[in-house]
Amino acid sequence: MTSGVGCRRRCATSEPTALNDAGSAVTTVAGAAGAPAPKVGYGRARGGRLTRLRPFVPVAVLLLLCIAITLIAPNFLSRGNFVRVGIAAAIPMVLACGMTFVILLGSIDLSTEGIVAVSAVALSLLVKNLVGSWDWGLWALPAPILLGAALGFVNGAVHVRLRIPSMIASLGIGFACIGIATVVLGGITVRVVDPQIRDIALHRVLGIPFSVWIALACILVAWLIQTYTRLGRWSYVLGGGEDIAKLSGVPVGRVRVGIYTLAGFFYGIGGILCVAQFGQSQALIAQGYLFSVITSVVVGGTALTGGEGGILNTVVGVLLVIVLGNGMILVGVPPYVQQGVQGLLIIVAVALSIDRARVRMVK
Amino acid sequence: MTESTILRPSRRSLLKAAGGLAGAAALPMPFIRGARAAGQTQLAISLRSLTNPYHADFAKGGQNFAKSVGMPIEVLVTEGNSEKGIADVRALIAKSNGNIVLCIDPNDSPDARVIVEDITKAGGQVVTIWNKPADLHPWDFGNHYVAHILFDGVFYGKLMADTLFETMGGSGGIVGLGGIFSNVPAIERKAGMQQALDASGGKVKLLDFQVANWTAPEAFKITQAWMTRFGDQIKGIWAANDEMASGALEALRAEGLNGKIPVSGIDGTAVAVAAVKSGEMSGTVDWDPLWVGGMGLSIAYNTRIGKIDIEKEPHLHREFYGTGVPVTAKNIDKFLESKKNPAPIDFNDFWGRVQAQMRYI
Repeated sequence: MTSGVGCRRRCATSEPTALNDAGSAVTTVAGAAGAPAPKVGYGRARGGRLTRLRPFVPVAVLLLLCIAITLIAPNFLSRGNFVRVGIAAAIPMVLACGMTFVILLGSIDLSTEGIVAVSAVALSLLVKNLVGSWDWGLWALPAPILLGAALGFVNGAVHVRLRIPSMIASLGIGFACIGIATVVLGGITVRVVDPQIRDIALHRVLGIPFSVWIALACILVAWLIQTYTRLGRWSYVLGGGEDIAKLSGVPVGRVRVGIYTLAGFFYGIGGILCVAQFGQSQALIAQGYLFSVITSVVVGGTALTGGEGGILNTVVGVLLVIVLGNGMILVGVPPYVQQGVQGLLIIVAVALSIDRARVRMVK
Repeated sequence: MTESTILRPSRRSLLKAAGGLAGAAALPMPFIRGARAAGQTQLAISLRSLTNPYHADFAKGGQNFAKSVGMPIEVLVTEGNSEKGIADVRALIAKSNGNIVLCIDPNDSPDARVIVEDITKAGGQVVTIWNKPADLHPWDFGNHYVAHILFDGVFYGKLMADTLFETMGGSGGIVGLGGIFSNVPAIERKAGMQQALDASGGKVKLLDFQVANWTAPEAFKITQAWMTRFGDQIKGIWAANDEMASGALEALRAEGLNGKIPVSGIDGTAVAVAAVKSGEMSGTVDWDPLWVGGMGLSIAYNTRIGKIDIEKEPHLHREFYGTGVPVTAKNIDKFLESKKNPAPIDFNDFWGRVQAQMRYI
């Protein structure tokens, strides 16, 4: 955990630095409470304009990417393709809403695929399917969400109470969840035939599938939590400097558990969308999402070290990753080059959005 | 501060952690289930993961055979980890003193060599499925490396492409979804599709081929982009497995095109079979994993008890392609009926489903 290392460093360095560190962190706490915070130590190394423009770098990269794709494949700008990009972005977007808060803490959550799988399996078994006899229809929808939140709570509790680094705790919970899904299903795939559940992905309102509206609602909810609740503000404070937050009376442990529970809540919704989209559930239904979600959050400009970024950055990040994937096929990039391009984009986007003057060490 | 105590663990907590690790390391070892009569043969089946229907049925096939001869069986799961797969087999060899009969789907080709050599040294019998290095042959290991069984990717890749073209009406553009590049079945199945394309004499055109890593979400995204890029030029979608086929099918469904553009798969998953029944997929191939798991063990076991003199068998019986069951609109009802009331597998019909001797590309 970074906090332990931070403490050590601070104790070892000379007095003035320690004071300076404390000073900037305390102002963050004040800023979080709503007061306009004087930006102590911000952009002290280099000129203001570049620093102010930095948050918009991912947006600029996204726009450039869209223009480049359109020049080669004008189809990209068609209405049909926008809807397709929206559909493809819906599930990663909902999952990224949860992941953003965890990364804001400076932690990581590797349990995403597992929690999504358990939620999806629970939902698919409760609605009309080709395996069992349950038929709860739309009444089954709270189950995967509550289950996801509960698993997120366990995740956070294990991490905080047992003092296990979030990476290992969530990795373990993720494996356990895949195990649960496997045992429950015994290796089979459950095909969902409930038309109401399928309609969550297939029914269109104003020409846009319902799943995309759900993703938009999730963005709004996440933004409200981030901006107007103590949980959201404290997640920034913890990411900025957890030991200072602790000394200032922030209930650090409870915030962490709360954030992981919130993440689980979003993963539960992601599970619903997976079942609606693919019409089936199995233990590996969410395979591959974890990597693309973490990539999206980071590419959007939320720092893995915590305390910087937010949900709007994540929206841009998810779109960047999805548009890139869509665009490379439209343009006709050979499959074996695609992964390389994706890797390059991640490095370019992060390199452009990091303020190197403020990064004291890279681990 | 409390953090610093975490960073400097006491000797006791270190010892505790070491104890925990040792316990965890011991976990994968097969548990000894009571005392057994000395000299009883240990049957075992090893596979990647029980999370997919293919391997779940593969294990069940092995258990069915074990039941038919009244022998104990262990199911070893590698979880995609070659080290664990090899360690588990070694533990079982040690436990059974080499009196072991193993049917294994190795996690990766190189694993097969290690396991075959260990089993040979211990005097057991092994049958490998799907993966083995090209220069590792059963006939070089006496009667210990009994046989290698797999299915002909080229043959079935072509067969499914032919079915797809037929459903499309014999001409038009198709797009192809492939598995991981370096994967042998992915390469073979794609080669089969290419053969079918060549045989169509230019009437069917491959618009684009993409790698969807065997998964449905990848296939979903790629198919969406294809619809933007090619629009109604796409008359059919060929996929190297059913997972990707179902991803493509759902992308079509999101646009109301399911059933209008046929999709073909391979592997015979329940989802794909249902889609063939509803007319949304043109076909799939069922490997009958119950047969693969059961017959793999049966051939190895009968070699051990001397019922088969494997060293006298031709090479055709030692590295062979099994026979898959194509599922198409023509035979779907019959196929579903046979799944509902499966005919019992005759574990003594060792070579009944030998299609051909394995080729090397």
